[in-house]
Amino acid sequence: MLNAQKPDLTQLPSSYQLIRSTIIAAISAIIILITIILPAEYAIDPTGIGRVLGLTEMGEIKKELSEEAEADRKLDQEKKEKINDTKNNQSNLFHHIFNFLSISANAQEHITKQDNIELIIKPKASAEWKLVMLKGQQVQYEIQAEGGKINYDLHGHGSGNSQTYEKGRGSKSSKGEFVAAFDGEHGWFFRNRDKSDIKVTIKVSGNYNKIKK
Amino acid sequence: MKLNIKIFIFFCISVLVFLESAHAHNVTEGDAGYIQEIWGVHVVPFTYLGAKHMVTGYDHILFLFGVIFFLYKFKDIAIYVSIFAFGHSTTMLLGVIYGWGANAYIVDAIIGLSVVYKALDNLGAYQRWFGFQPNTKLATLIFGFIHGTGLATKILDYKIAEDGLLINLLSFNVGVEIGQIIALVVILILMGFWRRLPNFMQHAYSANVIMMFLGFILMGLQITGYFVNI
Repeated sequence: MLNAQKPDLTQLPSSYQLIRSTIIAAISAIIILITIILPAEYAIDPTGIGRVLGLTEMGEIKKELSEEAEADRKLDQEKKEKINDTKNNQSNLFHHIFNFLSISANAQEHITKQDNIELIIKPKASAEWKLVMLKGQQVQYEIQAEGGKINYDLHGHGSGNSQTYEKGRGSKSSKGEFVAAFDGEHGWFFRNRDKSDIKVTIKVSGNYNKIKK
Repeated sequence: MKLNIKIFIFFCISVLVFLESAHAHNVTEGDAGYIQEIWGVHVVPFTYLGAKHMVTGYDHILFLFGVIFFLYKFKDIAIYVSIFAFGHSTTMLLGVIYGWGANAYIVDAIIGLSVVYKALDNLGAYQRWFGFQPNTKLATLIFGFIHGTGLATKILDYKIAEDGLLINLLSFNVGVEIGQIIALVVILILMGFWRRLPNFMQHAYSANVIMMFLGFILMGLQITGYFVNI
């Protein structure tokens, strides 16, 4: 027993209607695929309609993000290989000693530092600005965007860790402080998704070893 | 002695910093990545994402399929689909605005249950077992609320910018309804062919059992997910 009546053929669409519907559905699907889905997913926009609707931009951003993620994965891979190489390669000792000298020289001064920097970022471009910090070191910061709104990701990575402290998009300014959660590089990744050049001013003060651009 | 330890630590760090050369940032890919890069009103992109979510969301489609399985008249289909749409729009909008982020696994498990419920309803199990027919419109509404809560949970995960949130959300909702109509059209065309077959009613029994089976799989998947990702 089913919770229904057997359909009456007169209630159902005719074969002719169904075939016509199928053809209409297939044609509509092709049109939507070309004008909407391909621009939004792959930034392929033969008609230019996707651009007008703002969907091609979506496709471009997604493509860009997946390329960035892919580049990151490759970098991770290379890093692992590099570590293996280092283990087998004594000549790298020179670099270690060099780094050791430069960092320990910086580390001598545990006093509060202060820096001011300006970056000009073109539309669609990105920039990164980092501080080399030890775990527990604290920095106060103020960032300001002029000429447009900026996206940023305040994060750190190093010693096998990575962490985001603060994220912002369409931001004009941001102020705060963060404590390095581990030894490594901590700072900002900026991206200009606005239409004009943006001048980003970063002011930092606190404990850190050096600036890495 | 203490100084030596310090120097040793700095030596280690210098090696690490040297090895861990430039790394971009933690990239979020796909639709969520796109949403996290933008702010302000984007009507068409959010409508598109809403429609995409619905068309590619097999749980919603399965439930919709169950709801219209035995609805032959256009008017009945319109009524039930509107009830479902009203249900999920309400909880989706309120859920996002007030931040009712329920646990996605639990909500999705209940959505799986909604598929099982509807399949049993179609099979006439409630009349056989309990001797009465639970109100089908009410069930569609209640499960509509649950499906909307699931949508809200996923939208909250997208972290849409505050700037332009309401308009973007309404666009997403419009997209969900457009996606639902697209899915419905495809289902109705396919079912149109199927219903004309002389043994449709024999198929109908098996089809609803398969639907129930898929509903159980969804439930199992989500419940396991809840415990694995706790």
